[in-house]
Amino acid sequence: MTIEPILLAARGVKNSRTLASYLDRGGYKALTKAVAMDPAKVIDEVKTSGVRGRGGAGFPAGVKWSFVPRDLPKPKYMICNADESEPGTFKDRELILVDPHEVLEGIAIASYAIDAHTAYIYIRGEFVREAEILERAIAEARDKNYLGKDIVGSGYDLEVHVHRGAGAYICGEETALIESIEGKRGLPRLKPPFPAVVGVFGCPTVVNNVETLACIPHIIERGGAWFATIGTERSTGTKLFCVSGHVERPGVYEAPMGTTFREIIEGFCGGIRNGGKLKAFIPGGSSAPILPADRIDTPADFESVAEAGSMLGSGGVIVMDDTVDMVWALENLLTFYAHESCGQCTPCREGSDWALDVVRRIRRGYGHAGDLETLHRIARFASQGMTICPLGDAFCLPISSFLEHFGGEFEAAIAAAEKRAATFLPILPVRSDHALFESEEAS
Amino acid sequence: MVTFTIDGQSVTVAEGTNLIEAALKVGVEIPTYCYHPGLSVVGRCRICFVEIEGMPRLVTACSTPVQDEMVVFTASERVREARAAVMEFLLENHPLDCPVCDQAGECGLQDYSVEHGLDSTHMIDVRRTFPGLERRAIGPHVIQNQNRCIHCTRCVRFTTEISETADLAMKSRGNHSYIDTFDGTPLDNPWSACVADVCPVGALTVKEFRFRARVWHLEETETVCPGCSIGCNVDLGHLDGVIHRFVPRANAEINGWWMCDYGRFLADGLNSREIDAPLRRTEDGECAVSWESAMATLATLLRAAPKPLVVASANFSNEALYSVKRNLQESAEIMVVVPIQSGDQRRIRNARGEWIDSVDAHSNSTGARHLDLTLVDGVALESYIRDGDGPLLILDAHAHPWLETEAAAAAVAGRPTAVLARGRTPIVDTASLVLPLASWAETEGTYTSSTGIVQLARQALPPAGQARPPWEVLHSLARHLGHEQERIMSPRLLFAEMAAEIGAFAGMTFGRLKTEPGMPVHEEARGVG
Repeated sequence: MTIEPILLAARGVKNSRTLASYLDRGGYKALTKAVAMDPAKVIDEVKTSGVRGRGGAGFPAGVKWSFVPRDLPKPKYMICNADESEPGTFKDRELILVDPHEVLEGIAIASYAIDAHTAYIYIRGEFVREAEILERAIAEARDKNYLGKDIVGSGYDLEVHVHRGAGAYICGEETALIESIEGKRGLPRLKPPFPAVVGVFGCPTVVNNVETLACIPHIIERGGAWFATIGTERSTGTKLFCVSGHVERPGVYEAPMGTTFREIIEGFCGGIRNGGKLKAFIPGGSSAPILPADRIDTPADFESVAEAGSMLGSGGVIVMDDTVDMVWALENLLTFYAHESCGQCTPCREGSDWALDVVRRIRRGYGHAGDLETLHRIARFASQGMTICPLGDAFCLPISSFLEHFGGEFEAAIAAAEKRAATFLPILPVRSDHALFESEEAS
Repeated sequence: MVTFTIDGQSVTVAEGTNLIEAALKVGVEIPTYCYHPGLSVVGRCRICFVEIEGMPRLVTACSTPVQDEMVVFTASERVREARAAVMEFLLENHPLDCPVCDQAGECGLQDYSVEHGLDSTHMIDVRRTFPGLERRAIGPHVIQNQNRCIHCTRCVRFTTEISETADLAMKSRGNHSYIDTFDGTPLDNPWSACVADVCPVGALTVKEFRFRARVWHLEETETVCPGCSIGCNVDLGHLDGVIHRFVPRANAEINGWWMCDYGRFLADGLNSREIDAPLRRTEDGECAVSWESAMATLATLLRAAPKPLVVASANFSNEALYSVKRNLQESAEIMVVVPIQSGDQRRIRNARGEWIDSVDAHSNSTGARHLDLTLVDGVALESYIRDGDGPLLILDAHAHPWLETEAAAAAVAGRPTAVLARGRTPIVDTASLVLPLASWAETEGTYTSSTGIVQLARQALPPAGQARPPWEVLHSLARHLGHEQERIMSPRLLFAEMAAEIGAFAGMTFGRLKTEPGMPVHEEARGVG
C-alpha cells in the first residue's frame, strides 16, 4: 500500500525549510485552529487519532498529555526529544532537515494542549546543522507571530528553546534528558514520579519524539478520525522507516503502519545490495531484537512486530545480508551499549562491559565453553526491570535474540577456539623436588 | 500508619517509610550499598531487590515506600537469584584484594558476598583497572583506590547533601566512570573523612588509620567525642591499650551519622602520657610518692590558710564536676573556678539535616553551668591566680591554654601547687605535687552536650600507670579531709546522688543512659548554657 507522504510531503519542495514555503503548503493552519479550541478538545482529537509515541515505546501521545495535572499551580513544560542517537535511526534528523516548521507547529499545538508556555527542543549535540535550522525556523516563526507572545492573536504565549545535548545516548531517555536540561549529569531518574507529574525543574512535563509531534498538525487539521484510518487498527498513521545496511537504496521512507518489511526492504529500498541474500534484519533500531530473514513478511506495526518477537521501536530498520558475521555484529552493538551505559545501575554498568568482553573474545577466537551461559546470564539479569531505565533491556534483547536465532555461529566460533586450544602443548605436572630426590636415589 | 506483611510478619510503620527501614523494624535486614539512611535515595546498586505480591517485576526496597496491605518477600527464590546476580556483577570488576585491603572486616562486599553471593563467578576476563587512581591521596585524610569502587555515589552525595561542599563528583561514563574531586583540588572539608565511613568498600579509606590494625581485632567502645561541646557520638577503636581511631556512631539528635575531622583525629593524641605516677617536689628535689601519701599532702595543702584556689576543668565529666562542687566547694568552702575558652567553630548535622554549631572548645561546659560552678575565661582565670596567694590545686593541667604557658608557671611560682596532669607543661614541671590524671578514654562519665543532652562516655581503657580518674581523686581527697566516709564510690553512684540533688539531672539514671542515645536535661535547665 502506498499513499501520499504526510510527514515528509515537503521532500523535494524548494526551500522547504523556510516559513514561506511552509505557509504555501498550508502551514500553521492547524495551530491557528488549535488555539481557538479548548485544550481538552485538542487532547481528545489526538486521543481519537490513536497516534502512538514514535520514539520507541509506542505510548499513546494523547493519553500521555492527559496525565498532566491541569489544576496544579506550577508551570508546565513541553519537551521535544530530538536526541536521536540510536544506531540505525535517523528519521528525526530528516524531518528537521526537510520541514522544521512542521515540527515547531506540532510543538506549539502540544504545548497549548498541556498549557505549557515554555518548550524545549533537546537536540543531539552532533546535530549542529539541524540545531541551526531549528533556531532559524524559531526566529522566523516568532517574527510572524506563530511563536512568542500572543500567538496568532489568541492570547497564548509560547517560547521555544533549543537545548543541545553533549553527546550521551542515555539523554534520549526522557528522565535523563530532563536531568540534562536541568544542567545535571544525564542519569535516568527513579520512577515514579513520572515526568507528567514531576518533570523538568520539578514541574509537570511532557516529552514527545520529533516524529510524534510532526504528526500533530495533520491530526488537528484533518481530524483524528482521518488519521486513525491510516495504518492498522491499533497502530495508526504513517511511520518513518529509516533503512540502513545492505540494501540498494538506504534512506528514510514514509509508509503506513502495517506495511510489511518485505515491501520496505524489497520495494522501497530495491532489495539487498548486489542481489545478495537477506540474512537478518533489526526492525526498530539497534536495541530491538534481531529477526531472521524468514520473518520478512511481518507487518511493521507495534503489535505484529511484537508478535514476531521483536519491537517496532523507532523504525530504524537495519538490514544484514549473508556476508555478516553475527558474532561481529553483536560485538559492534555491544561496543555501543558498553560505551553508552550511564553507569548508574550495577547490572547494566557491569553487564554491558562484561558482555562486550565475552563476545569480543569469542570473535577473536578465544571463546570458552561457558561463554554462552555467561551471556544468557547477563541477558537475564540485566534486563526486565533489573535497571532503572530500559538501557539494560536495550543491550540484553540483542544478546538473547542473537543467541536465539544465530546461536550456531557463536557455538561454532567457540568450538573452533576450544579445538585450537586443545592442540596447544598440554601443561605437564611439575616434578617436585621430592620426586627428583627419589629418582636420584633410585639411580 | 500503614500495616504490611514482610516474610510472613505483619508490621505497622509510619506512612512513607521505605521498605529497608520498615523491614529493620522486625529485624529483617535487606542488603544495601547505595542506600544510606542519611543520604538521598538513588536506587543504583540494585542489591536491595524484594518481591511484592502482585507486581510483575522485582522492586528496589530503598525506593519503595510501604503501602497498606503490601505483601513483601525478601528471600524468595526470585529475590535470591537476582541478588546473587547483582553480587556477581559487583564483583565482576572488583579486585578481590581483601588481604591487602584496609576495609576488610567491615566491607559490604565481603559481608553480602557470603550471605547472598555465588560460590564462584562466571567471569574469566581481565578486570577493569584505573591506572593512577589506585593509591591516590584524594585529600589530606582520604586515600582513594578506584579499582575497588562499586559506583554507589554515597561519597558524592555526602559532599553535596551533608557537607554541602560538593567536592566530589563522578567523572566519565559507564563502567569507566570514577570518583574525582570536582575541580581537581584536594578533598578538604571539615568532615572529609566521613566519605570513607560511607564508602561501603575499600575505595576510600582514612589515611590516618590505614594499616594500623585489622578492624576485627579492634575493640570498640561506645563513647562521646571530647573535641567540643557538641558531643558527637563515636565508637572508639582500640587494640592492646592503644587508641587507633574514632568512627561516628549514629545519634539522630546530635551528629546524625557524621563527625568532623578535628574530632576524629583527636584519637591519636589520647595515647600520649608523660605523667604516670605521683611525684612530690621539694627543695631537696623530686621524689616519687604513693597515692596515699600524696593525698595526705594534698589534704594538708587544702586545709592551709589562706584558703586555696581550685581550678577545675570544663572537660571533666558531670560526676567529676559534681564531686568538685560537693567535696571542695560546699564541704570545704574552697573557691572553685572552671576556666573556659572559645575555640574554633565546629559544626555537625543531625539526622534531620539541622546544623549544630559550637565555638565552645570544652566537652562539658554545659554540665558545669548546670552544676552552677563558677565559669571564668582566660583573663579572669589569670587574675584569680595572680590575685591570690594561697595554695593552688589545678585539677587538670590542660584545662585551659593559658595554664599550659610559661606565664602561668611564673604566676604560680613560689606557691604550693598541686596539679593533676597527663602531659608535661611548665606548671607541671615546677609544681610541688604532680598527680597522674586518667585520660578521657580511661574514665567513665556523663557529659552534657551544647544542646542539653546528657550522654554517657564509656571507659575504653584502664588508666595507664598509676593514673586515676578525677572523680576518684576527689572522693579520696574528701575522705582525707574528713567529709566522706569510707565507702565504695563509682560514677554510677555519683550520678545517682547528682540526679537526686541537681535539678538539671532530675529523673535520669545511669542505667538508662547506657541503653538510650542520651537524655535531654530537665526542661527548667534548658535555658542554661
